[in-house]
Amino acid sequence: MFIARSEYDRGINTFSPEGRLFQVEYSLEAIKLGSTAIGITTSSGTILGVEKRITSTLLETSSVEKVVEIDRHIGCAMSGLQADARSMVEHARVTSQSHAFNYAEPIKVESCTQAICDLALRFGESASGEEEESIMSRPFGVALLIAGWDEEGPSLYHAEPSGTFYRYDAKAIGSGSEGAQAELQASYHKSLTLPEAEELVLKTLKQVMEEKLDANNVQLAAVTKDKGFRVYGEEEMKGCVGRIENE
Amino acid sequence: MAAHTLHTLPSTNPSFSFPQHAPSGAPTQHSFYPYTDNGGSTLGISGASFTVIAGDTRLTSGYNILTRYAPKLFKIGGSGPDHKGAKIVLSVVGFAADGRALQERLDTLVKLYRYQHGKDITVHACAQRLSHILYNKRFFPYYVQAILGGVDEVDGSGALYSYDPVGSYEREYCRAAGAAASLIMPFLDNQVNLKNQYEPGSVQGLEKKQLEAKPLDRETVEGLVRDAFTSAVERHIEVGDGLQMMVITNEGIEEVVLPLKRD
Amino acid sequence: MDTLVARYSRPSHQDPAYTSDDQQQALADVAPPLSLNFALPPVASSASWLRAMTDDASNPNCPIKIAHGTTTLAFRFKGGIIVATDSRATAGNWIASQTVKKVIEINSCLLGTMAGGAADCQYWLAYLGMQCRLHELRHKRRISVAAASKILANLVYSYKGMGLSMGTMCAGVTKEEGPALYYIDSDGTRLAGNLFCVGSGQTFAYGVLDAEYSYEMDDDTALELGRRSILAATHRDAYSGGFINLYHVKEEGWVKHGFNDTNPIFWNTKLTKGEFSNVTSELA
Repeated sequence: MFIARSEYDRGINTFSPEGRLFQVEYSLEAIKLGSTAIGITTSSGTILGVEKRITSTLLETSSVEKVVEIDRHIGCAMSGLQADARSMVEHARVTSQSHAFNYAEPIKVESCTQAICDLALRFGESASGEEEESIMSRPFGVALLIAGWDEEGPSLYHAEPSGTFYRYDAKAIGSGSEGAQAELQASYHKSLTLPEAEELVLKTLKQVMEEKLDANNVQLAAVTKDKGFRVYGEEEMKGCVGRIENE
Repeated sequence: MAAHTLHTLPSTNPSFSFPQHAPSGAPTQHSFYPYTDNGGSTLGISGASFTVIAGDTRLTSGYNILTRYAPKLFKIGGSGPDHKGAKIVLSVVGFAADGRALQERLDTLVKLYRYQHGKDITVHACAQRLSHILYNKRFFPYYVQAILGGVDEVDGSGALYSYDPVGSYEREYCRAAGAAASLIMPFLDNQVNLKNQYEPGSVQGLEKKQLEAKPLDRETVEGLVRDAFTSAVERHIEVGDGLQMMVITNEGIEEVVLPLKRD
Repeated sequence: MDTLVARYSRPSHQDPAYTSDDQQQALADVAPPLSLNFALPPVASSASWLRAMTDDASNPNCPIKIAHGTTTLAFRFKGGIIVATDSRATAGNWIASQTVKKVIEINSCLLGTMAGGAADCQYWLAYLGMQCRLHELRHKRRISVAAASKILANLVYSYKGMGLSMGTMCAGVTKEEGPALYYIDSDGTRLAGNLFCVGSGQTFAYGVLDAEYSYEMDDDTALELGRRSILAATHRDAYSGGFINLYHVKEEGWVKHGFNDTNPIFWNTKLTKGEFSNVTSELA
């Protein structure tokens, strides 16, 4: 795969003779360096969990933000280049709010995901002033797990820098994704309850994380019908982590 | 539309009720006047599980009747030339060309909504969108009064929204718009909203009880609509020829066209 | 670059393919972008053209009648803020509606009032609601009333002279500010204050409000004062009437205190409190 690299990864929108877009493929590699993030859907809501990677004891752990709110009913977890995610999240927030402004209803989770993926392809070399002007010189280096609740119930989407997205029952992204996905494959079933899903997320993260899992280096969030998107507070995190440690 | 002469603004000089010829040699000022009032009237009433929207089919310009069949009611968001599957009706009265432009725009946007979001738009969402379409021409308004009707997806009740030309809107039980609005609306206030009617034989004075408006059944509503229009035809020159009526229920839209007097 | 300049330097009506580009783009964006593009008439002075078409005060025969007329008030007191309005919308002499909701719920903690062009207020206060929500998402805390009112004031100022018509009040209670009340109008004025009345019936409402107002009132007295001031305005201002819409804003959010017909309130005030004794007719 890397043989033809010198020729075909200069122009980021240039196909190689084998039909590859190298820069897009590399961006997918960037995500494999990122911290692990996991999402699981249950009939009563979706749970998101991320590893925080506390690189220093002097680091203020609350400033590591890898699960964010998009709208009351949608939230997302990220893995990869954090900074890239900021503009995707901002775009998703503005899209959701302008949908609410125009249609007086919350946006569908799939439509919101689609909007994020539309943005993912706006990289390249087009001149300024063109319609659909490029806003990035390279593809995004981040993948998102988008969790939400709409009229179709709970849902979880995985959006990649390539601009594709798929809906999942359970999905892991980031450096530990291979091991984590295998664990999810084995343990996921449709009748999981919300607390069971919390535990499955934490147990899976525990397996793939290099550091020892505690209430500070992971973060959970949930999207439910009544409470919408909600990041777990300190006490709640301690409770959840305590539950899996006691087993 | 020909340019209209702009009359001088009222001043302290004695004024005339008829146009004055400009003194010879003085320039005549013309102004941009892109509107025609095409007359006609529309009306909407919502019930417990349906909404009726109606409009006459005459189209006038000044004292001329240009056609006796120009519909003011449009199905929104259906597919194909028959608007199959449409569950929302837009009625427009005012300037017919602006009305058609508005209808085409809303129809397109409602279809695009279905393609983008994979579901039919709700009346509630469509109502907000229509308001914004009108407001987007705040500085060059559509000369129309719009009424939007459908069935509320949440509780199955009839939903009716009325608009001013630049998009301020309100959900109501009944609304008349257009040339004969001032003839029809008081009738509806009385018959639908039961305004100024009190329980017969109840205590007088402070304790007297206002009659409470209840959703009407379909037969009564259709009767009211027919009466409203036959009466308006008697007293308004711009209303007549035909009565187009659409009844929106959960099953879809039923349309009837009834004759009105043609004089 | 040349094509860009050409596109914007030519009035759109001279464009051979009239609006095809722009309009198709606008149609393609089902959710229009937030850059606010408004259609403009192909004339040199769109503002005066718009006035000739829509301003029924200077031209009673204007073809497009936009809904107008109002009494709205809001005042600060120790228990929060009272917001009260009438509900009549008029287009010339025609009462277009008696059931207008002139208190606009921007979000669960912020209220706006509607005076002037109904569509202007509805649209821009909804827009403000969206901006407030985005502020909340970006900064993880509620927007202050000062900031919210400033967003609106800057916005309408950027449209100054274009013909917007709105006189609005933003009321909210936040931890940092306490009860906060701002008046914003379409000229770009933005004022903080204890008490405002806006609309054609404002003078009548001020008359009652100024006479009875005190910051130390309890909640019930304040609600009654709001109601009584609007009643006075609906009684003397022909452009005001319908129903009295009453809200109380507290730090936890606003509470609605009814949307009540003025007529029974009037008779109740006259017969049980002995006010309006100049009205000599009997209650039928």
